[in-house]
Amino acid sequence: MYATAPATVAKTVTKTVSGSIAQVDRWGELQLTLVVKKTTVGKKVTRRITAVKVPLFPNHTNRSIFINQQALPILEQEVLKAQLSTNIYMISGATDTSYAFVQSLQAAIVAAKKT
Amino acid sequence: MPVYVEHAMGMPIVIEVRDGDAAEAVERVFDWFRFVDEMFSTYKDGSEISRLARDELALDDAQADVRDVLARCEELHGETDGYFDARAGGLLDPSGLVKGWSVDRAAAILDESGLRGYAVNAGGDIRVRGRWRVGIQHPTVRDRIAAVVEARDLAIATSGAYARGDHVLDPHSDGAPRGILSVTVVGPDLATADAYATAAFAMGGERGPRWTARLRGYDAMSILSDGRVLSTPGFPA
Repeated sequence: MYATAPATVAKTVTKTVSGSIAQVDRWGELQLTLVVKKTTVGKKVTRRITAVKVPLFPNHTNRSIFINQQALPILEQEVLKAQLSTNIYMISGATDTSYAFVQSLQAAIVAAKKT
Repeated sequence: MPVYVEHAMGMPIVIEVRDGDAAEAVERVFDWFRFVDEMFSTYKDGSEISRLARDELALDDAQADVRDVLARCEELHGETDGYFDARAGGLLDPSGLVKGWSVDRAAAILDESGLRGYAVNAGGDIRVRGRWRVGIQHPTVRDRIAAVVEARDLAIATSGAYARGDHVLDPHSDGAPRGILSVTVVGPDLATADAYATAAFAMGGERGPRWTARLRGYDAMSILSDGRVLSTPGFPA
């Protein structure tokens, strides 16, 4: 008989977890959502936060005052993705540096619309 | 959908109009851009900016538009803790504001002509009327985008260091910003959005994103060198 090592298959599950809605003094409500990627290899479980979202945040006219007073900037976090530019009409890119790209892309879009 | 492209102010300017024939209004806009170039170009010896820089022209004698732009540059210098600097490197160069400012005026010309669906793209800085899907250029993969902004009556400006190498310098250290690849700022006014994007990018990956979270009426997305994308909650992507 051959001793075969059990195949280690990594199992990955991505879950979105929402925090409770919190009242931030008189400024409004705040809620955070985390996207967690859970990888299981054998008995080893690794959890990694891949995105932080803020679906609810104080957003009335005093929002900036709230942020300034809290000295706690709210930022959402994601992982950089490279997407195809289908159904895009305009591209915003770094000033002065990407003319050739913007030009060629826009020329391509113009051409694509004519086909 | 008609697309108009012309080279002005040293960059291609693309105008797309959904309202049908807008040739006359668009021609007025391109005339405006050529006029701005004559007034503000640092490459033209006879421009008011060049004459101001050589002390041949007193600020009080400059055209109202020139005085307005320089005053706004001073304001933004203060608002950005000196990170937006029209005198970086010791020379007067308000180009960083002029582009956005001239596109804002161009939008006003198109509005006055009754147009309600258009986009003006000046070298990657954009102002749209109506709903448009605007791609944000991926900082390292040239033919891809990093995000899509669902824009409606909005200005979108991106500052970054890709393509031709480092372009924006941190005026406080004269070095290239660290830890950051690009910053996109959206809001009502392109001149302001562009200045904020330039400043946040110059601040680098630590300070820049935090600073954008405090902006009033403007939202931002920062792409960091480690692949993280940090956005303010109101960023429409």
